[in-house]
Amino acid sequence: MNPLLAQFLAEAADLLTQVDEGLLQLERDPGDPELVNEVFRAAHTFKGSSGLFDFPELTRLTHAAEDLLDAVRGGRLALDSGMTDDLLAAFDLIRGWLAHVTAHEQLPASAGADAAGLITKLRAPLGGEPAAAADATPARSGASTIDAAPDWLDQFDAEWLEETASWLVTTSATMRFVRYTPDEGCFFRAEDPLHLISQVPALAKLGLVQPAAWPPPADFDEYQCLIGFVLATRAAVGELNYLFRYVPDQIETVELDGTAIRRHLAGEAPATPVEEQMAHVAEAVAGNLELARDAYDILAAAQRSLNVDTPSGPRLAAVAHSVSAAAAALGMPVEAGEPDLESLTARVSTLLDSAPPPPEEPVAPPPPPPMAAADRGRADDPGGQVGTRILKVDQEKVDHLMELVGELNVAKNGLTFLADAAEEEFGSRVLGRRIKDQYSGLHRIAEELQAAVMDVRMLPLSVAFSRFPRLIRDLSRRLGKSVELVTEGEDTMADKDVIEALGDPLVHLVRNSLDHGIEASPADRVAAGKPAAATVTLTAVADGDAVIVEIADDGRGIDPDKVKRKAYEKGLISEEELEAMGDTDAVDLVFRPGFSTADQVSDLSGRGVGMDAVRASVEKLGGTVTMRSQLGRGTSTRLRLPLSMAVTQVMVISVAGQRFGIPVDLVVETVRVHAAEIGRVLHQEVVVLRDEVVPVVDLARALDMPWTPDPAADRAILIVSLHGQRVGLLVEQFHREVDVILKPMEGLLAYADEFSGTALLGDGLVLLVLNMKEVLNLAARAQ
Amino acid sequence: MPLELNETTATLSGVVTVDEVEPLAAWLRITDKPKVNLRRCNHLHTGALQALLLFQPRITSSPTDAFLATQVLPLLRGSSGGPVLPESEPP
Amino acid sequence: MTTVMLVDDSATMLMSLKSILTKAGYTVETAGHGKEAMEKLAKGVKPNLIISDVNMPQMDGITFVREARKAPGMRFTPMLMLTTESEQTKRNEAKSAGATGWLVKPVGPEQLLGVIKQVVPGA
Repeated sequence: MNPLLAQFLAEAADLLTQVDEGLLQLERDPGDPELVNEVFRAAHTFKGSSGLFDFPELTRLTHAAEDLLDAVRGGRLALDSGMTDDLLAAFDLIRGWLAHVTAHEQLPASAGADAAGLITKLRAPLGGEPAAAADATPARSGASTIDAAPDWLDQFDAEWLEETASWLVTTSATMRFVRYTPDEGCFFRAEDPLHLISQVPALAKLGLVQPAAWPPPADFDEYQCLIGFVLATRAAVGELNYLFRYVPDQIETVELDGTAIRRHLAGEAPATPVEEQMAHVAEAVAGNLELARDAYDILAAAQRSLNVDTPSGPRLAAVAHSVSAAAAALGMPVEAGEPDLESLTARVSTLLDSAPPPPEEPVAPPPPPPMAAADRGRADDPGGQVGTRILKVDQEKVDHLMELVGELNVAKNGLTFLADAAEEEFGSRVLGRRIKDQYSGLHRIAEELQAAVMDVRMLPLSVAFSRFPRLIRDLSRRLGKSVELVTEGEDTMADKDVIEALGDPLVHLVRNSLDHGIEASPADRVAAGKPAAATVTLTAVADGDAVIVEIADDGRGIDPDKVKRKAYEKGLISEEELEAMGDTDAVDLVFRPGFSTADQVSDLSGRGVGMDAVRASVEKLGGTVTMRSQLGRGTSTRLRLPLSMAVTQVMVISVAGQRFGIPVDLVVETVRVHAAEIGRVLHQEVVVLRDEVVPVVDLARALDMPWTPDPAADRAILIVSLHGQRVGLLVEQFHREVDVILKPMEGLLAYADEFSGTALLGDGLVLLVLNMKEVLNLAARAQ
Repeated sequence: MPLELNETTATLSGVVTVDEVEPLAAWLRITDKPKVNLRRCNHLHTGALQALLLFQPRITSSPTDAFLATQVLPLLRGSSGGPVLPESEPP
Repeated sequence: MTTVMLVDDSATMLMSLKSILTKAGYTVETAGHGKEAMEKLAKGVKPNLIISDVNMPQMDGITFVREARKAPGMRFTPMLMLTTESEQTKRNEAKSAGATGWLVKPVGPEQLLGVIKQVVPGA
């Protein structure tokens, strides 16, 4: 992909997030000028950058959004939730487009059609497109373009003027005459009038306008521009307008034919009442500033519309109509002839040129514009992150770095094998010692490197939380509930993989809260003595190596009896359990596969694949989920996740001559017992440890591997804890603990649920890491 | 150097920017019967032109630059009284 | 050697303008917002032309132009604002703050290089 497009896409993702967040905050706090400004700026940047590529629909849509936001920013419109909806929809559409652009480097074919409706909606609060023409437009008369000769023509050499006039009369041609009156301070804007004039194409004659009186040399300020120029050229008006576009207020342009010049030379009055018209403008402006300003705005809008949309047919007629109305208001009626794009564009720019924008604040001195104040505050703000440099790095690069750290760890671990070999195979303790020393040095560096890379991968939880304001807003509107979102601890950091993996379970839990947790209507809440608006709280806190994320609502809570009954009806628990089960355990039933508390399955939370899926995915991350609920008071679900999952500590064991890894988190202890100490209760082998009966699972049998333990030897049993249950695993041998980078299962093994992943060991061996839950299920089935 | 200032002659060459305006004006102020050589000048900042108009030095050599020669030099000439030597004068 | 300073919070915009200018043989300095640009000027970077966006965090373009005009050696340096079609009033504000002119986004190579020739004598 073209690097510029790639850069744009990366930037666009940030801008979209900024716009989304900003809009949602704005809806709550519509008066905040800084917020409006921020959203506007993001939309604005978007539009600006989008123009670099051939995405006209994107430019048009962002343009419409920008105009709406600009009106909000300027205080001409108050943002309501309908507008927010449209704006959000616009940026959603853009998000979709950009996904398409990422894949195909072009907008989807439907972009134009998709955008059209939204653009109309976005423009509606601004009065829509220029009003449609109601009455028929009068026919156009052949308007002359020849101006009256201005007084400053005297600045030209009379002889030259005479010659030029006769040439123009002979050839029926015209010339453009410009008077350039630089500001005294123009040098301080880096303007150099003579440099500009040297660029006038087809310059026929340059004349000097000297100051009325030169100052005495002693008082002469060389940086004050005192002189002016007049020039005659055969360049077109358009060329001149372009060249002098930065100094339009210092320029006066007229188009003259030979007759007009001769009249001037003869001292006759001008033939066309242009000056009279100008006087009208002045009058109109003085008499009704507001009207003039409106008219000017209309002209400016018409110009934009002509430039941007290139309208045709009835739309063009509408623009033409509003232009003539505005011109009339300015006291410069124009013949609203048959509209064609070019002549209309020219007419509008002529009108705009001759009617300079009226002063912004003419009548009542209004309070200082709030934006300006905010801007100043920003500019003077001594704080902020001046000089911080944020490097944007492709995720893949960081992932690759992490992989390399993993491989470094593996290579490092290889040294311990080498040390063992040095001792055992080559009988050199000294060499073994040295290698181990080398190892510990390398180990320290590898650990620091790993920590550094891990740190790069850390993201604040706000990344995971950022989608919820929007989600909750949309869901609550759809459900007719009123819900406030409170987030806490968004600064808490966790590994990006954790943050990413957290997304889906969180969405599920939040949806569940809104769908089932919160009362069906605000009225129900009020009846229950609660505020009409429910609150959903998302909290994140760091807890050692883990991060705890809690989703709490103040809804109706879970009725343990109802849950138990449902579970019983669905055959998930036995009658005894129904009788004996405590409330906490009852609430936990919602995590059982196939359980759904909703009386009616809604389209929001899916069909019964709710909480069990959440638990499964969190456990896959090495985390846990617990739920607490108080009937009538609310429910909170707590996810505990490792801060990082890039490196997993596993205990290596072997059975039937093959090594496996078991996550150290699960390991409680390792014990060796006499074969005779292993008893049997029903069909289950057990061992009694400190007065506790622990079931023992033969791992080799569970994994279907042939192995017969030496009857005389002690039995090696690894005690693991799963969901609070202790289970012993009969293994052949314990090995050491190692840090590994766990990779997901691929290929054929991808479907082997008993393994959670693979890891490369220092001696090059691929270690299969066991998914204990599935292994125990297998064992239960094997019996 | 766009601006070379001698006792009685200033030689302007290349692009004379706003940065040269102040030293040129200062030199014109203090120099008695100043002479200015514009032959190798390609551009004259408006401020420099203005200073030449005010102090009316003798233009000892006309510029080779077409715009300056055809459009700007006549302005310096036409300004009341500053005598300009014939264009053919050697540099 | 003509040095152009680009000030824009959009990395995309900086990248596109920079590539045009570098190809045309200009030396380019970039800054992400007005404050950063002011710091560069304070450190002695002396561009022959400044091109700045209007809407930026930290310090907007118009404030930046007003401040930059006061920086040493920047009194007469051409400064152009990057604007959009609709920012008529911003242009006027920028002019009174000391800007020389403006460019209209999106800025193509011809427009950019043409304007530089127009406002920087001898560029």
